[in-house]
Amino acid sequence: MGRLTGPLGAGTDVRFPAILRQMSLVFDNLHKRFGRIQALDGLSLEIPQGHIYGFLGANGAGKTTTMRIALGVLRADSGALAWGGVDHRRLPRATWGYLPEERGLYPKMTVLDQLVFFGRLHGMPADRAARTANEWLTRLRVPDFATRKAGELSKGNQQKVQFLAAVIHDPEILLLDEPFTGLDPVNVVLLRQAILELRARGKTIVLSTHQMETVEAMCESIAIIDRGRTVIDGTLREVKRSTGRQSVLLATEIGHDLAWTGDLPGVRVIRPGLDRVELGLDPGTEADAVLAAAIARNVPVRHFEVADPSLEQVFIELVGHPADVDTSLAPIADAAQGQDADHGGGQNAGQNAGRDAGQNAGQNAGRDAGHNAGQDAATQESPAA
Amino acid sequence: MIERSSDRPDPILPNTGIVARREFTERVRSRPYAASTVLLSLLAIFVSFLPIIVRLVDRDTTTTIAIVADDPSLAQRSESIMRGVLSTTSGGSPDSWVFTIETDREAVKTDVSEGRVDGALFATRGASGRLDFTFLTGQGLGADRTQFVAIGTFAVAFLEWTDLVNPSGSVPFLPPTLNVLAGAGPTAGGVPLAATEIASRQLLGTVLIVILFLTMTIYGMWVAAGVAAEKETRVMELLISAASPRQLVLGKVVGIGLAGLVQYVAILVPAMIALALQRPIAEFLGLGSGINPPLSGITPGFILAYGSFFVLGFTLYALIYAAAGSLVSRVEDLQVIALPMSLLGIAGYIQAVLALSGGLSGFIRVASFIPFWSPFVMFTRLTVGRVEPWELVLAYALLILSIGLVAALAIRVYAAGVLLYGQRPGPRRILRAVINPNG
Repeated sequence: MGRLTGPLGAGTDVRFPAILRQMSLVFDNLHKRFGRIQALDGLSLEIPQGHIYGFLGANGAGKTTTMRIALGVLRADSGALAWGGVDHRRLPRATWGYLPEERGLYPKMTVLDQLVFFGRLHGMPADRAARTANEWLTRLRVPDFATRKAGELSKGNQQKVQFLAAVIHDPEILLLDEPFTGLDPVNVVLLRQAILELRARGKTIVLSTHQMETVEAMCESIAIIDRGRTVIDGTLREVKRSTGRQSVLLATEIGHDLAWTGDLPGVRVIRPGLDRVELGLDPGTEADAVLAAAIARNVPVRHFEVADPSLEQVFIELVGHPADVDTSLAPIADAAQGQDADHGGGQNAGQNAGRDAGQNAGQNAGRDAGHNAGQDAATQESPAA
Repeated sequence: MIERSSDRPDPILPNTGIVARREFTERVRSRPYAASTVLLSLLAIFVSFLPIIVRLVDRDTTTTIAIVADDPSLAQRSESIMRGVLSTTSGGSPDSWVFTIETDREAVKTDVSEGRVDGALFATRGASGRLDFTFLTGQGLGADRTQFVAIGTFAVAFLEWTDLVNPSGSVPFLPPTLNVLAGAGPTAGGVPLAATEIASRQLLGTVLIVILFLTMTIYGMWVAAGVAAEKETRVMELLISAASPRQLVLGKVVGIGLAGLVQYVAILVPAMIALALQRPIAEFLGLGSGINPPLSGITPGFILAYGSFFVLGFTLYALIYAAAGSLVSRVEDLQVIALPMSLLGIAGYIQAVLALSGGLSGFIRVASFIPFWSPFVMFTRLTVGRVEPWELVLAYALLILSIGLVAALAIRVYAAGVLLYGQRPGPRRILRAVINPNG
């Protein structure tokens, strides 16, 4: 199951079974060029029906272009895109629900009018659209928003309304582009629950985000794309194990003194911390060797946990940066000199976003994973899993 | 291989109607809409009352009339009678009328056409003794003064009858004939129109053309601003996933067009009432009864022509404005695009004004068929009665054809433009959008 493509996946093209493909969203060898920029370069994916599918990539990797092609807003230069075997342009527009990354509503229109407007555009009768809108507003604990103008709401609340505009017509497929950005923690939880509930009702959800924690918590399957190509796709566990690496989460009585790890071959510090550190193990390096080394050096170990690498680590390893780029913060003087240097803006932006977002993701996933590290956070949190 | 994007079902209805309804509701509920309706109504009423206002201001205007008669005594008699009668009846000062006696008919006609005199009165006595007058009017002569001349000719004939023709009372009075010709004004099929009719239609045409130009420009900008605002607020991202560019463009044009039409009626009705009340108001103000009722030229056909030119003209301009609005990222940036758009309309408006004043050069005739200008120019020609049926049909046909063509292009530009952010809409980009909206 799953498929590895690109540098790590060459030759391991194992697709979903044919019966499943008939019920899936298939992107097949999509190409799209804007002038001199090759936005999509043979992108291929298969997203099973009823899954929450993490769609990851650095800025400029081609995520939004892919979504716009799916919606019919853009036309691919070549390739095919089908849902349940039907070409996407023959599907009714209401098949799709789209939450764009750029937020926007009619500022002078009331929330209810706005939701009814979008519901009607997708073919809903006005009364049913109003009823559904009110139900959703109540479920998101903002029933009083109905009569308020969108321009009067905070950005986070506008985002909730926009999410409702994407789902009000009960689409089969939801394309959510950074749905949690700008939301406070309470609203993140609310929106997560709403998305999980939609998945439980059989909706297929494509979740594009830089928040690795979110992906690990919600997605059964993911794809990482880079420069318009699929680098890897498959179940979350498969992707996390695709690098052949493991992580060790370690807490000791001597805190952040990690000098002793420098002597261990195939071991590097991924995330230093006062309370707990994350060590990355190269393929072939046994986790037990780390524990043995600590004991041999009389390092008092409080916590020792073997886990899959965080999604952030996988992302960085697969697309984040070439080996010769230092991911540590550059000195101020160097930064000033290098302001104009072109290191590939989109790629670096993606690295940063991934690094930032993944800080907590790895910790949470690791904490929940236990010593054997087989379980991933998404599996534990998802009620439908 | 990906097929054409038109494979997706893309019916015009109901989404065009839904978008149109939203646009209409948003417009008519807005404060700027109410404010502009009031302002434009007041402007239209002001323009309608211009003849009265001008008359009030120009009480002391001097009108020079050349009198030519076969019989020198008739010329002399006409001059003295008309001077006496008109100086008392027209309400002006004693110097408001100047009459000169001339002998060379052709020279006088030239004087009229070139504006050296305001009009020429040709008097002849028939075999029956009846006086026949032909009044050649110049450009500066309004309908009111023409009517005073008519009163004067009646006085000349009556006094001629009492003093000369019928001292014994055995010959019945024969009212004079008065044929009013436009010496420097428009003609229809080579036949000059009556000056009173021309003046009436010119006034009406001016009011309607001003309203037509203002509303088409304003409503066009509404469309452009609406599209630009949807981009600026980023609601466009949601919209394009819910409806096709065709549905969005047409919905916006229809919705704003209907809002404009409602405002149009709100503007036009008080203006028409003001025009209808001109004569009683003029009489009330002691300005005489010389103001011709301007609504006399309005017929159902005239209203139909005006309405259709407004609808078709607005549609043509609104489509271009919609495409233009899609090319900018912020409403403020519209100024860059609005200027050339406005110039296009102003060019048509200026030609319409020229046509109203009586000129019908070859260029104006051609301009009246050019779709961007025909709503102004052809309507103006229609107002002053100079259009052959085939000309009208051709103008409509070209206008409708252009709307179809411009709609197709505008939708392509819109489809590409709504996805562009932070890029200047240069000619190359627009051309590329037309050729390949998805690329």
